[in-house]
Amino acid sequence: MIHTEIAIVGGGPAGLCAAIKAAESGAKVIVLDRNSQLGGQLIKQTHMFFGSQKQYASHRGIDIANILISKLEDYKDKITVMLDATVIGLYEDRVLTVDQGGKYIKIKPDTLIIATGASEKFQAFPNNDLPGIYGAGAVQTLMNVYGVAPGESVFMVGAGNIGLIVSYQLMQAGIKVKGVICRGPKFGGYAVHASKLRRLGVPVMPSHKVVYAHGKDKLERITLIKLDENKKEIPGTEFDIEVDVLCIATGLTPLAELLWQMGCEMKYISELSGHVPLRDKNLMTSLDGIYVAGDVAGIEEASSAMVEGSLAGLCAAKAAGHIHPDFEALVADCHKQLYDLRSGPEGEAIRKGLSKAELKEVGL
Amino acid sequence: MLERTGVPTKENIESVTPLKERLSKGPVAIIECFQEIPCNPCYTSCKKGAIKELIDINDRPILDPEKCNGCGVCISNCPGLAIFVVDESYSETEALVKIPYEFVPLPKEGSFVTGLDREGKPVCRAKVEKVLNTKAQDRTPVVSLIVPKEFSMTVRFLSLNDHYSDNTIVCRCEEITLGEIREYIRRGYQSLEEIKRISRAGMGPCQGRTCSQLIMQELAAATGKRLSEIKMSAFRPPAVPIKLGQLLGGDDHE
Repeated sequence: MIHTEIAIVGGGPAGLCAAIKAAESGAKVIVLDRNSQLGGQLIKQTHMFFGSQKQYASHRGIDIANILISKLEDYKDKITVMLDATVIGLYEDRVLTVDQGGKYIKIKPDTLIIATGASEKFQAFPNNDLPGIYGAGAVQTLMNVYGVAPGESVFMVGAGNIGLIVSYQLMQAGIKVKGVICRGPKFGGYAVHASKLRRLGVPVMPSHKVVYAHGKDKLERITLIKLDENKKEIPGTEFDIEVDVLCIATGLTPLAELLWQMGCEMKYISELSGHVPLRDKNLMTSLDGIYVAGDVAGIEEASSAMVEGSLAGLCAAKAAGHIHPDFEALVADCHKQLYDLRSGPEGEAIRKGLSKAELKEVGL
Repeated sequence: MLERTGVPTKENIESVTPLKERLSKGPVAIIECFQEIPCNPCYTSCKKGAIKELIDINDRPILDPEKCNGCGVCISNCPGLAIFVVDESYSETEALVKIPYEFVPLPKEGSFVTGLDREGKPVCRAKVEKVLNTKAQDRTPVVSLIVPKEFSMTVRFLSLNDHYSDNTIVCRCEEITLGEIREYIRRGYQSLEEIKRISRAGMGPCQGRTCSQLIMQELAAATGKRLSEIKMSAFRPPAVPIKLGQLLGGDDHE
């Protein structure tokens, strides 16, 4: 059994920032990631991020991953990175079991940060298992990590930021996007992302959904239907579009099974897109010394995931007996950044969701 | 409306359009950001202090057109690619529109492209004045387009598709494109003779056998005249190119 002061599950934006701040505080850290490289979803993001300078606004996700990874290297003596390492179990005695290339490893940390991110929500319609129907994450991986075109013409289901951004990236890759739909009468992503697509001549079509996928061995055609203002189908409005790729970007949901395994208090909060752990303002769950950060705590942007990671890193280090020399100021700054990022009209749902996820009785 | 279509409304655009006097004075940023989102790189990148401080990061950027010198640094810094620079002082009839363009291949400087509006519809021909793609743009190159002045607040993207056949060669000898001929006509060159002298079209080895008719058609289309009303250019010997030496030797009878 390996002993460490802090184990961080997930090496995405939240996990990396947590590792940096924990190591900066003086703690010994192990970062575990199931992928063969660090960065999580950042490595697929070729677009510039929003936010402020503190969250690397104007930088592309892939560049932010490299910045964070190089910061990790500054703490080589403190941080151990385990790649291709999937955490398969988390037990009540706080032992993590890990599968790394067929090897079964046990880790016992003093404190733990869960930053496992999210998984994609899928859609149920006939023939949704035809080759050519992908989640947006898979399309980004193929295109932006491996340089492989998913097909020739794409239809995008979902007009949140992911649907809009991936559509733009497909167009950049020279793949025709025939349209973007969403169920509601207004698209959910930022208006500037939709405007970028419209300038390219890509139709953005709210109040539509996919009802059928057609094809023999692979996707050839989809049937769409128009919806009314209450998202009800309008009979007789079906029409077909020929495409060889259908990309599903209908949202993410927290990837929280490890928290369930441990027995953290969980709650379904629709504004945070699924079951999330209750947590205090410093991101400690109902279990002492178990912290969360990033999408696993509720679906948000990478900018807030990074700040949450820093906050959880500082606090988990403190719980492990390493108080950062600027602890008070840094924690206050994290709270301020999170407040700013969530304070606008677009952050309203997040604020509402977070107020339901607060764990008041447990303090730092 | 914007949140249903993704296309800024007329009111949206009017709210960020500087006064005519300011537009005619020279380059100025047009910030087409109409939603309160947590984002501030435009403000932090502006060296002129022309964008009002975003006290709340969710505030929409407000530009002071008098402080803005149209340098365009904000264009490549805006994660939403929502900032453009318009320069209506470019010429009497043309304006310059600077747009962020993250696609390959990049258009070539001097080539003709199609100016697209906010819905991606072709609205006018545009000439690529400059393509700025240095480290400062960090992979968001800025393309400067020359467009007819009336389209300065309409053109927001470009297509390399030669919608107006502007890159079609009309004078093969001198490699003059239809777009260049049209540009001369717009600038006021109204006869075949003038166009020949300014562009060299018709001065090559074939002496205008390919291009003269085509240029006359363009002149007719642009001026509304009939072909019979377009004056031919002067024809002078030699009708085909000859070597200088041939002249030097003189005629056998001389």
